Amino acid sequence: MTEYRRLAETLDSVAKERGKLAKIERLAETLGGLVGEELAVSARLLSGSPFAEWEQAVTSVGWVTMAKAASEVTGWDLETIGACATAIGDLGEAVGLLLTDAPTEGLSVLEVDARLRELSRERKAAGKQAAVAEMLRRSSPVEAKYLVKTLSGSLRIGADVTTIEEAIAQGLGADREAVARARRDCGDIGETAVAAREGRLAEIRFRLFHPIGFMLATPIEVAEEVASELPLFAIEDKFDGIRAHAHKSDGRVALFSRTLDDVTAQFPEIASELATLPGSFLLDGEVLAWRDGRPDSFFRLQRRLGRKAPDPEVLEEIPVAFMAYDCLAREGRPLFEEAWTERRRELEAISPDGALRVSTVFRVETPAELDRLFDEARERGNEGLMLKRVDSTYQAGKRGRAWRKYKKALATLDVVVTAVQQGNGKRAGMLSDYTFAVKDGDRFVNIGKAYSGLTDEEIRLMGTVFRKITVARYGPVRAVEPQVVLEVSFDSIQKSTRHKSGFALRFPRIVRLRPDKTAGEVDTLQTVAEIYERIAER
Amino acid sequence: MATDEPLAPFLETRPEGLYCPAFEAAIDPPVAASRAIVSHAHSDHAAPGHEEICATPETIALYRRRNPDWAGRARELRYGERLERQGVTLELYPAGHVLGSAQIFFECDGRSLLFTGDFKRRVSRTAVPAAARPAEILATEATFGLPVFRFPPRKEIEERLLAACRRAFEEEKTPILLAYGLGKSQEVALALGEAGIPTVLHGAAWKLLPEFEAAGHSFPLSRAYETGPAKPGEALVVPPSCARTPVVRNVKRRRTVYLSGWATREASRADFDADVLLPMSDHADFPELLQHVSDVAPRRVVTLHGYARDFARILLARGIPAEPLPSGTERLAREEEA
Repeated sequence: MTEYRRLAETLDSVAKERGKLAKIERLAETLGGLVGEELAVSARLLSGSPFAEWEQAVTSVGWVTMAKAASEVTGWDLETIGACATAIGDLGEAVGLLLTDAPTEGLSVLEVDARLRELSRERKAAGKQAAVAEMLRRSSPVEAKYLVKTLSGSLRIGADVTTIEEAIAQGLGADREAVARARRDCGDIGETAVAAREGRLAEIRFRLFHPIGFMLATPIEVAEEVASELPLFAIEDKFDGIRAHAHKSDGRVALFSRTLDDVTAQFPEIASELATLPGSFLLDGEVLAWRDGRPDSFFRLQRRLGRKAPDPEVLEEIPVAFMAYDCLAREGRPLFEEAWTERRRELEAISPDGALRVSTVFRVETPAELDRLFDEARERGNEGLMLKRVDSTYQAGKRGRAWRKYKKALATLDVVVTAVQQGNGKRAGMLSDYTFAVKDGDRFVNIGKAYSGLTDEEIRLMGTVFRKITVARYGPVRAVEPQVVLEVSFDSIQKSTRHKSGFALRFPRIVRLRPDKTAGEVDTLQTVAEIYERIAER
Repeated sequence: MATDEPLAPFLETRPEGLYCPAFEAAIDPPVAASRAIVSHAHSDHAAPGHEEICATPETIALYRRRNPDWAGRARELRYGERLERQGVTLELYPAGHVLGSAQIFFECDGRSLLFTGDFKRRVSRTAVPAAARPAEILATEATFGLPVFRFPPRKEIEERLLAACRRAFEEEKTPILLAYGLGKSQEVALALGEAGIPTVLHGAAWKLLPEFEAAGHSFPLSRAYETGPAKPGEALVVPPSCARTPVVRNVKRRRTVYLSGWATREASRADFDADVLLPMSDHADFPELLQHVSDVAPRRVVTLHGYARDFARILLARGIPAEPLPSGTERLAREEEA
């Protein structure tokens, strides 16, 4: 029986190693000694995602529920737990530090797996709290630390699922590429590990209706950046919708979002439309609000989101359509390893009669032509352009340079920071999330929040400033005196009830610090309203 | 008792810090004062340029070394020696924080106050451990006033420090030890010296060695960074503020150890670009803070620095009247010297 403690200690040693190779080594040592179900469960737990990607399961234990469970087990009141988590920068670490290393019963990896599955089925917060408390009661500090981190959704050990893939390859003597392919095709690092151990990686086949990762694009700021490669790119409009994968076979259709959630029920008209198409396939594309034979604004599409099943009035008022732009499998044949050109051919072959809406592809030779195309895409109501290397394979779940996105910021605003918060992941413990405001008469009204686009060095420097001008602390959030001025760019502006200004910036990014400006010089709410009007007219 | 003057009649809170009316002296003022009672020689407690200083002889010697042009008056007060003014007596007790560090005990008409300054009760090489002097009011630091802060015993810390250095040497790397220049650097040099490992000390620490030698310590295996970068087999000791400067960056093959109570936070690995985190602190950890409160057995506790608010709340929950020093007199986080 493998103890969960062994995995927790492995994760801890991985966190302490700084080199990628040493991290892989630690993981490989542990994985190398495991077989069967214990291997499958351990591979998932080491990757930080306790369930297979295709399972669509989440433990959904909120921070407060975890903190309450920790309070129950450690005897410290909730406020102290919260203060400790803030001081340490991570609830899991804090809980580990609050527990004493008294001998505990411990949990086996299979027990942890079973309990996390029970948690994902438990609906009530009280039930979840009791279940977490029970696990913590049986945990040593290092186990508690990594259980809470697992439930928080981030282990912060400087290793991701691709590191685990490498560890599987190394520890179980398999080919690195074969491991990556198998995981992509089966959507489960656990099953992949077992297949690698048993020499069956080649037997893993892609299966429809298991969500897989999306290939992502690297932004370019100016056309000249890609000048030398331009003839090698297929160019499409960048649609302002919801990215989705559509799986279809035997009249069954499933739509998965970027977060790998099943969103089929939200878009019944797309499901029924795709169901009538011939054959089986997996498409990559965009769900768009659709009006008069062309894409409608993202703001209208938003009204369709977040509802499990839209009511008939909304369905009628805001019709949606699926715009396909890639084909990742067809008639049982995975196409991930095929070049874009081949995948495009398969895409266009699905419905020669035009029943499937397929993106238009452009080709250009020069940056000037690209810019002209960009303006035309904007005229068509789209965000910008996507550039896809015609010789590139589909790299699921990766952001690479084979796909580039070309968006131009609408405008920039000068804003003042009103609150800062500690970041997550690599920037844990750094004050890297900024809430900022514009001027409205003699007061400042918040308009957005951005994960810092600054360098680590700048964030650290700013952290010192923010600590000095902190006026109040609310858990991890510090309200600060409005002094620090930033220039932010954004993709759009929308109405919002979240911020006092009544507006929210969409995808705000910090362009630069503006130490040359004072809070009195930031943009006004009036300016924001004018930009909003300009967009709404489009 | 008026809550806005929780330390009356001995001390009052002023915008620039604590002030003792009987001695007409500021306590650890952050800026130059006409008269200052200084608990220890760290720069955020011992600002340059005071006209008159009252402190232990060790603290005054360190202060002179750090401020060679200083021309003020010094009033040396040994541990246990008493001063009296306007009916108030003042006495310094060891604080265990660094060489010469003192707790300040005030007494008047049967009333008393113990001001801990920065303190620790654990044994270290260069500071006399803090002892508890029972008092009616306890003004305690609370830098690490949360239960997540529990530091291992010095022996264990030193073993881990030596292990980190040995691993570095095995990997043909230079151990870089990030330790504050006054106190921790000398502790590190002594621990390594005892194990036969030579150390190269940053100027901030090197220049203070005479004061430590006067206190009976010797550093035969240490040399100044000015005399050249670390050679194979030598460990480099520099302040944490050097972590991202060329002093460290120029050492291509290195293994960096961050020595501080804040090393409890794993995020400090990224903050200081450190390979090893060692919670070696010159401050009391949470259990020590509680133990000190218990031993001083005050009627009332006032907390300052760090997690003052949380520590006061925790004491209150245990039935001990406690409050944080009103904000505004609180200095900003002093992570460097933890």
